[in-house]
Parts: sequence; C-alpha cells; structure tokens
Amino acid sequence: MIDIQHLTHVYPGSRKLPPRTAIADLTMAIGEGEFCILTGPNGSGKSTLFRILCGMALPSAGRIRIGGHDLLAEPAKARAQMAVVFQSPAVDKHLTVGENLRLHAALYGLSRSDLAGRMDEAVSWSDIRDRLQDKVENLSGGMARQVELAKSLLTRPRILLLDEPTTGLDPSSRRSFLSALHKIQRERRITVLMTSHIFAEAEDADRVAIMRKGELLALDKPQTLRALLGREMVVVQSRLPEQLEARIRADLKLHTRRHGDEIRLQETDNGASLPILEELLARYRSDIDSIAIKQPALEDVFIHLTGKTAAEIERENLETVSP
Amino acid sequence: MMRVAFALAVREFVRFIRQPQRVVGTVAQPILFWLFLGSGFSSSFRAPGMEQVSYLEYFYPGVMLMMMLFASIFSSITIIEDRDAGFLQSVLVAPVSRMAIVLGKVLGGTAIAMVQTLIFTIAAPFLGLHLGLASLALLIGAYLLTSVGFAAMGFYFAWGMRSSAGFHAVMMVFLMPLWMLSGALFPIERAPFWLHVLMTINPVAHALVLLRSPFYQAPEQLFGDSRYLIALAVTVLWAAVCLLGSMARVEKRDKGVAPSA
Repeated sequence: MIDIQHLTHVYPGSRKLPPRTAIADLTMAIGEGEFCILTGPNGSGKSTLFRILCGMALPSAGRIRIGGHDLLAEPAKARAQMAVVFQSPAVDKHLTVGENLRLHAALYGLSRSDLAGRMDEAVSWSDIRDRLQDKVENLSGGMARQVELAKSLLTRPRILLLDEPTTGLDPSSRRSFLSALHKIQRERRITVLMTSHIFAEAEDADRVAIMRKGELLALDKPQTLRALLGREMVVVQSRLPEQLEARIRADLKLHTRRHGDEIRLQETDNGASLPILEELLARYRSDIDSIAIKQPALEDVFIHLTGKTAAEIERENLETVSP
Repeated sequence: MMRVAFALAVREFVRFIRQPQRVVGTVAQPILFWLFLGSGFSSSFRAPGMEQVSYLEYFYPGVMLMMMLFASIFSSITIIEDRDAGFLQSVLVAPVSRMAIVLGKVLGGTAIAMVQTLIFTIAAPFLGLHLGLASLALLIGAYLLTSVGFAAMGFYFAWGMRSSAGFHAVMMVFLMPLWMLSGALFPIERAPFWLHVLMTINPVAHALVLLRSPFYQAPEQLFGDSRYLIALAVTVLWAAVCLLGSMARVEKRDKGVAPSA
C-alpha cells in the first residue's frame, strides 16, 4: 500500500551549516490494512518522511508508491487516497465541530449530498457526535483530537497517516483515542502509518518500524522485535523482600536486584526463566505475593537497537537539531 | 477551485465576526483617525485645486484606503496564526489548487474590508458629497480592486513569516509608508520632488485616485480622463502581480538537494 524505495532527503545547507541528510536510502513497504508504527529518536528522519509522504516536501531521490500511484509523478491520485492527522491541531478552534467538518469536505471537493451521508459515518464512533454545534475551543483535548480523526475519515481514506497524534493527551484520553483508531482501522480496512514516541502504543501495532539517522533499523512484529533481545527475567513481589532476596541468593546462588518490594532476578535466555519460576514457587510459595516472567518491553528493544543511552541520544540531538 | 476559495473566505469572515474586539477595532480605529486628524488639520489645510475641500473631506477617501490596509494586515496576520496553530498544513495537504488558497485568504480579507468601507460610505452625504448610482458602482468597484490588491500584497509578505512580530516590522516600514505616500494624508502636488517621485510610482496612490475621483467627476468624464485610466491600469496590474506572486510563494515546496557523493 505504501512502498518506499531508496528514499533520500538532504536538507540544503546554508553558509553556516553544511547540508544535512535526514533520510538515507530508506526502503520499506507497508501492506494493505496494516497498522504500522514508526518510531525513532528525535532527529531520526521520522518527521521528514512524514512531510514527504503528505507532499509537503520533495525528496532528493527515491520513489514512493501509494496504493499503486507514484507520489511524485501523480501526486493528486496518490494523495486522494490518503488522509493525514498532524501532531499540532489542524482544526480551527474558533469554528464549531460541524463547520470544521464542512470546511474539510469543501477542501476535498465533497458535494453537499456526499457530506450528508458521510457526516454520520465520520462521527458515529466518537464522543463528538452530539457536539457538532460546539466550538472546538470548548472541547477537551481528547475530543479535539477526535475531531481531527473524524475530519480525516470524511474522505474515506484507504491510508491514514498520523504524526504523534496522542501528544498532550492524558492517559485515558490517549487509550480511548487509540482503541477507537484500532477499531476504525480494522472495520474499514484502512492502512495506518503512525509515528509515536510512546512504546506502549507500539505494542498493539501489526508492525513497528524503528529509524535512526535516516535509516531503517528494524521493521517487524512487536513480538519478533522483543524476541530479538532474547532475554527475559523473573520478577517477584513479596511482603518481606529483603529476607526473601537474601534466601534466594543463599539457596539458589542467583544474582538479584531489589526495587522497593520487587525482586528482579538475573536475565536469562528465552525459556530459561520458567524453571526458575517453578523452583521459586516450590520453595518460597508462602512468602510470595506475586511472581511473573517479564519480557523485554519494546523500549528495551529500542535502546538495544539504537545502541544509545538516553544521554547519548540527548547529546546527538543537540548536534543535529531537527528543523 | 472557487468553491474551495469561497469556503476558506467564509471561514475567514466567520472568524472575524466571532471576535467582536476585532470588529470594533477595525471599524473604530480609522473613524477615530478620520475625526481627530480631519478636524485638527481642517483650519490649516489647503489642497491645490481643491480649495473648497475641508481636510475632513480630503482625508475621507484616504481613510477608506486605510480601512482596506488594516483589513489586509489583520488577515495577513491570520496566515501566520494559521501556520502556527497548524490549520494551514491541513489546507496544504488537501488536493486544492494553490490559487484557491490565495484567493480564499484574499477574498476573506476583501469581504471584511468591503463591509467596513460600505458602512463608512454612509458618511459621504454628511460631507456634502453626493453619488449617482453609476458613480457608486465605480466606487464599489474601486473598493473591490484595492482591497484585493492590499490583501494579496499582505499575503505575499506574510506567507514566509514565522512570527507576527516580524510581520509588524514589515507593516511599519513598508505597508504603512505605502499608505502615507498615497496622497491619503497630503496631496502629491506640493510634496518635495523626491517624495513626488516616490508617490508617483506608488501603486496605492493610483488606487486612491480610483477612490477619490467618483466623488468629484461624473462616470462618463472619468472614462475620458487619462489620469483615471492610468490609475485603473496600474491598480489592476498591482493586484494581479500581488496575486500571482502570492501564488508562486504558496507553490514553493522545500526540496531536498542532491546527495553529495
């Protein structure tokens, strides 16, 4: 559905700055109906890729096909299948929800009769269906986001691009926005490409793409990416953590670390933690409140793949500030 | 294209109406200028060839010009706001023609200016100025043309700007002088030579001719007057160049440069 081949984008330099490569020979493909999350540290080229996909920037080299149409040769046909939700609000807050939707319909050349049929389809899933007469500035942040999504659905897109759509939302608004998005994506078979910094959002995606310095480091299912690390650990919670930790160390000769009332055992290869868990339960059942095998989070995979500590990433960001 | 432009223009107008402070500010400020300056200068002002004309009357078309200038400035500032707030990017990614984006903004600004100047036209009979229907039509045509010119010029400057503070600088050193040197405040004839030259090449001065003449000359006279016809040509040219220039600016995308080997 989205087919990117050998894409390169170099920002022109100025007298003080040399030209900067934001995307370097990127090749990736996203299939129809797929929910793909694009992630990477700041300055990794995510935003540039996003700007190119929505036609706001022209790449230095490479080809992009959107639903079979070349984005650079037939931009109108390619873009007609896409809808975009930006990170910054793209609705006019002085207008009502209904006015915003109608304006959007006009921008996309929908006739009045088209709009009448699609209005309901665009808002039926949301909390804004009863608030079409309200000005957007009077809505909560979560609802204002729903207006953005509703707006983009008016054109019945086959592809939906979202740029960090949940930035600034509280956790419950974020969750409800994402679950609505997933539901719509499945029901209407829309291909979704969404950039995100929040790894919890990536866990539910079909595939996750990780970029760094303009290159694609990985593009795979979340569980495959986690398996890449090949590690897991047993985590125990106890009422008497210090005593239990001391006994585990003495009896089983295992390394442990303690965070509050939680004891973390040393990492093992995949599959090797289960026998340890059984052993612990057999010996100390009465002292254990809860016990689990912790898989690495996508965040751990990200750190592993990008090979940087947070401080290193921060330092890099200072050197290459994204425009 | 016109439907998109119209939808964007309606948005512009609705936003204007919903901000009462803006309505009051844009209507009241030129009127206060007119009353204060007009009354204050009245005793000391004599325009060559217009000896019977009081300053209040002389300044009257100038204030109309000012209204259009201000309407254009405010609507240009909304371009910067739209970019800041993010609204603009949703328009840019929509499959709309660039001219529609320019026209939407320009027509929105023009509509606002038209409402103000038409209200202000009501003052004409109180100055002893009487307009026939044909003259009124010419006058309204001049309003339209001048407003479009100003709005498109404002658009051209505001498009690339990232902060409204920067736009204020442009406004003070460029847009305001265009107005000051249009003959709105003082007649061209008595100005020093260098100023006279500046005022002659100023398209806004020609727009002012279009605004002032219908009050003093009959329509059939005007179309035989070369001064009026030149002013008309210059103003049309000015508006067209500003519109096309704005469109070219909107068309421009940032393009990646060829990768260095």
